[in-house]
Amino acid sequence: MGGESNEGEMGLNHGDDHSRAGTTSMPLYAKADPFFSSSDWDPVVNGGSFSSSHYPSVVMENPGMSCFTHYQTGSGYPDMPASLLPFGDCGGAGQFLGSDKNGESVGRLMRAGESHDQVSDDGVLGASPTRKRRQAEAESQRNKKAVEEYQEDPQRGSDQSQKKHKDGQSKESSQSEEAPKENYIHMRARRGQATNSHSLAERVRREKISERMRLLQELVPGCNKITGKAVMLDEIINYVQSLQQQVEFLSMKLATVNPELNIDIDRIIAKDLLQPRDRNTPTLGLNPFTSFQGNISTTTNPHYNPLPQTALESELQNLYQMGYVSNPSTMSSFSPNNGN
Amino acid sequence: MERQIISKKKQVFSVEPTKLSPSEVFTRKYTSHLVPALKKLNMDKNSSQINQVTVKHEVDMALALSAQEFAWGRFLLQKLSSADSKSSSSNQTQILERSNDEDGEIEEKMKELQELLPGGKEMNVEEMLSEIGNYIKYLELQTSALKTIVQDTT
Repeated sequence: MGGESNEGEMGLNHGDDHSRAGTTSMPLYAKADPFFSSSDWDPVVNGGSFSSSHYPSVVMENPGMSCFTHYQTGSGYPDMPASLLPFGDCGGAGQFLGSDKNGESVGRLMRAGESHDQVSDDGVLGASPTRKRRQAEAESQRNKKAVEEYQEDPQRGSDQSQKKHKDGQSKESSQSEEAPKENYIHMRARRGQATNSHSLAERVRREKISERMRLLQELVPGCNKITGKAVMLDEIINYVQSLQQQVEFLSMKLATVNPELNIDIDRIIAKDLLQPRDRNTPTLGLNPFTSFQGNISTTTNPHYNPLPQTALESELQNLYQMGYVSNPSTMSSFSPNNGN
Repeated sequence: MERQIISKKKQVFSVEPTKLSPSEVFTRKYTSHLVPALKKLNMDKNSSQINQVTVKHEVDMALALSAQEFAWGRFLLQKLSSADSKSSSSNQTQILERSNDEDGEIEEKMKELQELLPGGKEMNVEEMLSEIGNYIKYLELQTSALKTIVQDTT
């Protein structure tokens, strides 16, 4: 599976840079939001992790407002020595930033447990409740412990409705240094929306969910045009089921051929590494099941991988040369004979 | 002939720089778990007795072992270690009760997804959605690893 790029891997390309560029400049982001990929992240992550390096900021569209959802991924998908961090969320520091140019109040979400922000506080607000926490990438790994603490300050509802936040500071500037000690999520009601603390929490939750749905959409093949949660969920369910079925099918096949297991791990790994990561393989998996008896034979069905995988074929050439296959010219035939 | 192959092997390896993408990491782990397990299975029993359930068990076990960094991986491992003969993929025939309410429908689907994911029932929805994402990815990786293994032996 060599040769993966970020795009190739999961097709996940958030293009956050673009999104960031398109909106009001958030100097904070610019400097504080590097590319997770670079500094902190292992090359491992970069190689094509699920949460691709360009995860950070995604613009959320809300009618009438441009909001930034800044997810800092504390950990990429796979691997990550960290624990489980829900994808898309930094070990704790993610924020909703409402940028409002119009001086409307914005909803803001603060993630608790994080320290460090580079941004100065919004002096205007002054009071503790409305602080945003911004987490530097370099410190993102510290967040492992602070996975997601979402707690909403119960009194917030009443407070927030009174606070109107002017532009400029609403964005980054409102972090405060003392934030780290708090464990609250400070939300602010958006203009024209209910300020009930429950509905705020609900909205936050909904936004997170839709954010993840969007990522999933990019993961599941062929879902780019689907809009709507229900259909999307359907697709995801089907896809997962089909993957599981494939695994079952393959293991059944494996059980059949198992007795002749003569594998060299190195060769498998080499092959795997060489195989281009093609996203179509999952859908091609269910080939007619031909039963194989005997040793490694010529039936290295090219039909099994309809997509050309030249690297694999060169490995097959090796096989032929090794004498496992007596007659390369019969490769295209399905006859399970002349093994060695 | 051997040398030729060895040199080709070397060639193969040298093509690949030392970068290790997570999928490669996973693939290595996975195959290194699965193949020895299969061999052992091979040797312990007579070849005619290897049934599918055991193989499936090994397959799932290898997946769980290679994905310990995820909640579903750990859960899968637990489940496999404690009670055998249960496969996560056996829940595929679900009767989905559709309610007319759109939200209810979505809820139902979320539940269904939860059941597909090992350990999904114990997560909340948001967690589950993230875990589903990497579960999908690792399932794909597992599928391709299995294909390679199967190809190799046929």
